[in-house]
Amino acid sequence: MIRIENLEKVYKTEEIETTALNGINLQVKEGEFVSIMGPSGCGKSTLLNVMGLLDKPESGSYKFMDTELLKLNDRERSNFRKANMGFVFQNFNLIDELTVFENIELPLIYNKVPAATRKAMVNEIIQRMNIVNRSGHFPQQLSGGQQQRVAVARALVTKPKLVLADEPTGNLDSSHGNEVMELLCELNEQGTTIVMVTHSSHDAGFSNRIINLKDGHVISEKINKGITEELI
Amino acid sequence: MFKLNLKIALRTLWKNKSYTLINAGGLAIGLASCMILLLYVAHEWGYDKQFSGYEKTYVVYNNSKNNAETLSWAWTPTLMAGEVREKIAGVKYASHSTYPNPHLISYKQNNFKAPAVFADQAFLKILDYEILSGNAEQALTGVNTVILTKTLAEKLFGQEDPINKVLKFNNEEVLKVSAVIADVPVNSSIQFEYLLPWALFEKINPWVKNSGWGNNSCLTLLQLQDEGQFSAVSAQMRDIYKRNIPDATNEVVLQPLAKWHLYDHFENGKSVGGRIDQLKIFFLLAFCILLIACVNFMNLSTARSEKRAREVGVRKAVGSSRAALMNQFLQESFLLAFIGMLTAFMLMEIALPFFNSLLNISLKINYTDWRFWVALVGLTLATGFIAGIYPAFYLSSFEPVKVLKGFGHSGTATLSIRKALVVFQFVFAACLIVCTAVIYQQLQYIKDKPIGFNKNGLIEIPMEGNLRSKEKMALLKTQLLESGAVTGVTYFSRSLNEGGNNTFSVSWPGKNPNDQVLFNFRSAGASFSKTIGAEMIAGEEFSEAHHNDSTHMILNEAAVARMGLKYPVGATFSWGGSPVTVIGVIKDFVVESPYQAPAPMILYHIEDEFEYMIARMNPEGNVSSSVNKIDEIVKAINPNYPVERKFADDNFEQKFQNEQLLGTIANLFGGFAIFISSLGLLGLALFMAEQRKKEISIRKVLGASTMNILTLLNKDFIKLVAIANVIAFPLAYIISSNWLSAYEYRIQISLLPFGIAVLLSLIIAVLTVSLQSFKVAKANPIDALKYE
Repeated sequence: MIRIENLEKVYKTEEIETTALNGINLQVKEGEFVSIMGPSGCGKSTLLNVMGLLDKPESGSYKFMDTELLKLNDRERSNFRKANMGFVFQNFNLIDELTVFENIELPLIYNKVPAATRKAMVNEIIQRMNIVNRSGHFPQQLSGGQQQRVAVARALVTKPKLVLADEPTGNLDSSHGNEVMELLCELNEQGTTIVMVTHSSHDAGFSNRIINLKDGHVISEKINKGITEELI
Repeated sequence: MFKLNLKIALRTLWKNKSYTLINAGGLAIGLASCMILLLYVAHEWGYDKQFSGYEKTYVVYNNSKNNAETLSWAWTPTLMAGEVREKIAGVKYASHSTYPNPHLISYKQNNFKAPAVFADQAFLKILDYEILSGNAEQALTGVNTVILTKTLAEKLFGQEDPINKVLKFNNEEVLKVSAVIADVPVNSSIQFEYLLPWALFEKINPWVKNSGWGNNSCLTLLQLQDEGQFSAVSAQMRDIYKRNIPDATNEVVLQPLAKWHLYDHFENGKSVGGRIDQLKIFFLLAFCILLIACVNFMNLSTARSEKRAREVGVRKAVGSSRAALMNQFLQESFLLAFIGMLTAFMLMEIALPFFNSLLNISLKINYTDWRFWVALVGLTLATGFIAGIYPAFYLSSFEPVKVLKGFGHSGTATLSIRKALVVFQFVFAACLIVCTAVIYQQLQYIKDKPIGFNKNGLIEIPMEGNLRSKEKMALLKTQLLESGAVTGVTYFSRSLNEGGNNTFSVSWPGKNPNDQVLFNFRSAGASFSKTIGAEMIAGEEFSEAHHNDSTHMILNEAAVARMGLKYPVGATFSWGGSPVTVIGVIKDFVVESPYQAPAPMILYHIEDEFEYMIARMNPEGNVSSSVNKIDEIVKAINPNYPVERKFADDNFEQKFQNEQLLGTIANLFGGFAIFISSLGLLGLALFMAEQRKKEISIRKVLGASTMNILTLLNKDFIKLVAIANVIAFPLAYIISSNWLSAYEYRIQISLLPFGIAVLLSLIIAVLTVSLQSFKVAKANPIDALKYE
């Protein structure tokens, strides 16, 4: 589904240039659950942002189902993103002024889904995520785990082909963290492709494949079939 | 501590350059607008107050009553001053003088037409103009003497000493210069360039000596011994007419000189305001604009309070009291007000010449006047205080434990205050837009209103000097027509735009004897209505055949209606006791105020009374070459006088001066008020965008387009501006209908001004907010989400 070739990204500040991605080559197949790991500053978040069309690389190629995405302009990128991708962030990034229901509804509004359909879709996902009794609450009234469930629900409500998760358990304690990971696995089994950045090898253990980055290079790849099978 | 506070204040201002710019810029424009308006108010307020005895000086007003109304004017009999001097106790000086009128004055080859006043010696005692050279003491007691103002003396004599030089007046009288006085102050009601003795006036106009109490032809000024005697003197003055003419209905009121200019509107014999009303509006406007600038400061300071909260927390934690903190924040706003004032100074000096030429006045900053400096310092301190006091209260109220832990979402209370402040600003702005639009509509309506004749391409030439003789008058007419520059010529006894020349002594069959009706009267030339483009409704107009005919009259429609004549042509009535016959009716045409229905008018045809030639320019010809031709012909026939040819429509424009001034000022300062308000809005948008950066980024990640984000950010502001408009409308309606009610001819207030206000304020708000929100909406979302 995804084919990335020779991706390069450089951050420039006033004095220093930092190479975040240095010729990355990567493929993700449909239905895969891929973890990206590596030390701080290895470029893993940058890679995820590029994959999510939130950031532009200097050079290279990024094909999504044979469409070259790096040639798109801002509007096309935005349209592609909202049609195909969902995001889960470490710090949840829910909008404080909106209720749980409204937060989940938001991407549907931007996708111009009619109101009635919207309501049905949000209710369905709320049930699936087991947060029905929270739907009228504001984010700050929820625990971290609940907030991340809302964030996951929001990422999934549009039924994206690809979910990108940036340290989804980073701000959670281990039991809430496991809950979220199990949720992601469940989704993956239902066919959603997931790419996740994580620090934790425990979390990475949930995925099919682990990619290790260092200084902007892919240094190793590991098929992780066994563990997932174990979990099943 | 002060030094430390100043350091922090300067650093804060420097660090937040855009806020500082918005705040100081807003305050500077606000202060400059306020001060320019106050300068104008002071200029008007200072009218006639340059004379040392102005507080005990009074202008004699003549209230002439008829059963419909009381007319008040400062025209009095020449005998009044003498009688007052003799018979009324408590009066120190009483003077009679003419009103300023342009006359020709010449020295060798230099000749000028300049406004002159004929006055007696008491005139100079009451109005103590500064004497620069010569002896003014005796100047007005002679006959052929003159007092020049400095500018006229320089124009006539250059560097030579003017004293005892001999001048010619109207090419007839020889005058000796006896004194030079300083120029008459610009804000003085009596504007002249030279003063002539009353005796000369009597010599030139022999009728003056014999004119009685029925002839109100001059200005009478009184100066009391002291102010305490006002009620006694005014009681004695009231019936001065009745003591001299048994059946007189006139009464005298004394109007203080200091109020002459500003309280010039009389109703029922009492002064009921006038220019002062307009002045009050300007005064209010001055402070409202400043207030709007202060509101900007309040808004931005509280909006940015979260950034300052940490500092407050730390200071309180290490022992600062609330008072000390308030002190610190006030110092900041004083500092800003001071910076604003310095900028305002520059703005004022740059703007004043422009403002002066726009309004045709000459304001300047008088740096040697202590009152200016007091006002300046006072305004700066007041601005600093008003702008700073609320933010100081608010900022210093933070509790250290809460703010050091980080701000929760407790900002709702201040948010609604900020919203209220924005609404307040835009209420004011919308009000101004509506009122300005109404003023312009009214002005346009009056200007477009038919005036009964075609004033375009009509010129007036005064019949003076050689042109007073019938032969030269005829010669001029022939030559003008032959030159092809004009297509028609007629005469009139006054300028087409002048008032005056009216009488009560008209009666007709069936007139109520108690009815006093004022009729304008004019002597009109042959083909009068044809030349000026007026319309004869019935009968015929004067032709060459009516040579010096004092028995045949033309009436205007208003006169016909007033007399109730069914068949006006051929009807007779009596004027000054003699019977006269109506030969024609002319459609009403405006010679006085275009804001009122034309008064009844009688036209007659006596050539000796023609004062102006009125000529219709050839519409086929080129205007400037026609004008040159006319000027050449006039100059050749009347070489001793400067050519005084004027366009009738130019003169007509001057009737709108007051409204034009109001319109221009409302427009100009309304524009500034709106600009300052949008600066505040820009600041708020800047802040909002910054505060909502994260939210915007999330929305973008979820698929919001730039348009979605712009709508989101603008929506709140649009709501506020809409609310402001709703509040402003009834207010603006009341104000503008109140203003309009003073006009007899006025527009109905339509929806248009309100539509303009909504549209304009919304466009301004959206543009201002979008300026900022567009940047945020276009920004890469990940920048805001990355560093949490």
